[in-house]
Amino acid sequence: MSRPRRVQHPGAIAVFVGPFALLFALFYVLPIGYAVWQSTRTVQRVGTFGPAEEVFGGLTQYRAVLENEAFRDSIGRVLLFGAVQVPVMLGVALLLALLLDSPTARGAKFFRLAFFAPYAVPGVIAAIMWGFLYSPNLSPFRQVTQEVDLLGADLVLWSIANVVTWVYVGYNMLIIYSSLLAIPGEVYEAAVLDGASQWRIAWSVKIPLVMPAIILTGVFSIIGTLQLLAEPQVFRSFSTAVASDYTPNLLVYTTAAVPNQPLAAAFSVVLALATFVLSFTFLKLTQRRAFQ
Amino acid sequence: MKISTRVASVTTLAALLLPLAACGGDSTGDAGEGSGPAAGGGGAEATACEPSNGEVNLTFFSWVPGIEGVVDIWNEQNPDVQVEVQTGPNGNSGTYQNFFNQLEAGNPPDLGQIEFDALPNFRVQDGLTDIAGCEGVMDAQDQFVEWTWTQVQLGEEDAVYAIPQDTGPMAMFYREDLFTEAGIEVPTTWEEYAAAAEQVRENDGYITNFSTSDINQFAGLVWQAGGSWFGTEGESWQVRLDSEESVQVADYWDGLVQEDLVSTLPPWTTEWDNAYNTGQAWTWISAVWGANSIMSGAPDTEGAWRVAPMPTWDGEVAAGNWGGSTTAVFNGTEHPHEAAQFALWLKTSEEAHTALIEAANLYPATTAGQQLPALAEGVPFYGDQPIYEVFTEAGATVPTEWTWGPTMTQVYNDVADGFSAAVSGDGGLADALTAAQDSTTTALEAQGIPVGE
Repeated sequence: MSRPRRVQHPGAIAVFVGPFALLFALFYVLPIGYAVWQSTRTVQRVGTFGPAEEVFGGLTQYRAVLENEAFRDSIGRVLLFGAVQVPVMLGVALLLALLLDSPTARGAKFFRLAFFAPYAVPGVIAAIMWGFLYSPNLSPFRQVTQEVDLLGADLVLWSIANVVTWVYVGYNMLIIYSSLLAIPGEVYEAAVLDGASQWRIAWSVKIPLVMPAIILTGVFSIIGTLQLLAEPQVFRSFSTAVASDYTPNLLVYTTAAVPNQPLAAAFSVVLALATFVLSFTFLKLTQRRAFQ
Repeated sequence: MKISTRVASVTTLAALLLPLAACGGDSTGDAGEGSGPAAGGGGAEATACEPSNGEVNLTFFSWVPGIEGVVDIWNEQNPDVQVEVQTGPNGNSGTYQNFFNQLEAGNPPDLGQIEFDALPNFRVQDGLTDIAGCEGVMDAQDQFVEWTWTQVQLGEEDAVYAIPQDTGPMAMFYREDLFTEAGIEVPTTWEEYAAAAEQVRENDGYITNFSTSDINQFAGLVWQAGGSWFGTEGESWQVRLDSEESVQVADYWDGLVQEDLVSTLPPWTTEWDNAYNTGQAWTWISAVWGANSIMSGAPDTEGAWRVAPMPTWDGEVAAGNWGGSTTAVFNGTEHPHEAAQFALWLKTSEEAHTALIEAANLYPATTAGQQLPALAEGVPFYGDQPIYEVFTEAGATVPTEWTWGPTMTQVYNDVADGFSAAVSGDGGLADALTAAQDSTTTALEAQGIPVGE
């Protein structure tokens, strides 16, 4: 890789990279840049209905973000959510993938599709469906839901976690499963010759080899957790316990509706940074072991 | 050929840049001239409102069902002023945000539907044209129910920022059959209402459902009690979410919630409809448009409902108001005169009113409109009771002091969050109001809006 390469076809490179670069700049760099710029603005006015004047406010909005208790609470809530839901979901996904990959499995094709099917249901629809299943008076499982308030303040976070798990477990399973399929057959042969049982093969061969895939799904899930929006938004119409600032993204949405764009932009920037730091830390912590 | 193309493109460029220059002027706050007839800030002087020459095309955004048919009547009669209707979801479901974005981009429709509670927000965002100077607007004042006109003036005596469209005077829908069967008297005061609530609970029902997330209803209850959540004095706003009247109403409902005498289902959900359809909920303190909500949400109860005036505090007759909208002329329109004429026609002419009642059951904001024959008939769903009479009387007793604040979306969210926490056992309703008082003050100050004591 250290061999220096001469650029042979600059025109061709431009043609191939150009469309991407243009779209990337227009729909990624520019909006982010605009959000950062907006987050440094602040509004001034005089009198009850005085005209608004947008001026440079430095870090005013960021101070408001840090002082915002609802924002801290919502971050804490999704972190708690992620700390429980992500390991559970990935554990189940890994288990299902290993089961499908086991040489004794029958009907692997059917089950692969069956596990994956919930992911084909749009998140909003899934949330509406589960909302009705949880509902105390309309659920087909009324005997349970009238006794246990699944939509109450104590449990609703985990009710949402269940919906998210239901939707995404098959998707994560598929990523891990395809990574399992890529393991060459001679590795198993060698393990069998060494006298390893299927349990031992799963534990000592398969799991270490698919660790990169598990970490990849882990990063995706962490990002997804911090950006929870659709499910809690839908649950607002089923539960009185889901407030308009329940998750960071809901809070951004609520703030933009005020309309207080500068503050909403500052929230978004902080949230994006937090997501980046968290994913990056997770990768750093796991990478050495996984990609050795 | 080549030259003329170039000239054309230069002209186009200039045309594109000019509004930009005007925008720039606006945002510094000193230029009303740049953006045409729109009033700049203080609204001290009514703007000139001259008719435009030639054919005029207006755009009008509304979420009233069937509004196209009503506007067609105007378009037929006024070939020179053609109105194009744009429709979308109701205000808080996304349309207001679109309006704000369009205003920010300098490209709003000429007219738009705005609910009373959102008017101050649009005024603060400098989104409204003062149409007081337009022909016929000031003269129309006497035709409207008193409090509605106060609302569109936004505290300025010689300004008018919108034409009232419909109102939502409140009354009490109740299940006459269930009350009679159980031998419970229909309550006329809030004290009797609380007593009846206990009796209803003994009959395995709830007297009503307390809405923790649709704060508009609660605002209507405070409005009835003579409170106001906001006010303006001099150059600053007063926030009074935790005023005496507001806390009185909150404590009253807190008591009913604590003793499990009212249910707390999320409103406007299937679960909620179900409670009304199955006879679990016996009354609903709601606005005139609630008549339709019951018909569609609780179809099995046909004939069982009646309407009575809202229970009162100590027998003092007053009604709250829940909902209602206006038609506003947006800042940036090139044709304020024509826009105002269209808005006036839509809100005051008998043909438009009748069409609006037929299309969407809108309850007019004009006194004449409320006397229309379409509203005098008995309604079969309500056992042929002429229910609109109750609402007409209620409308006349709605207090005029109520003022909406400039960030109502935020207020609703914060109060709803607090109320939801309260019914989940975390604090009381009055605590939620105190918390919302603080967060609202913060939100106003974050927007540079002065808040006084």
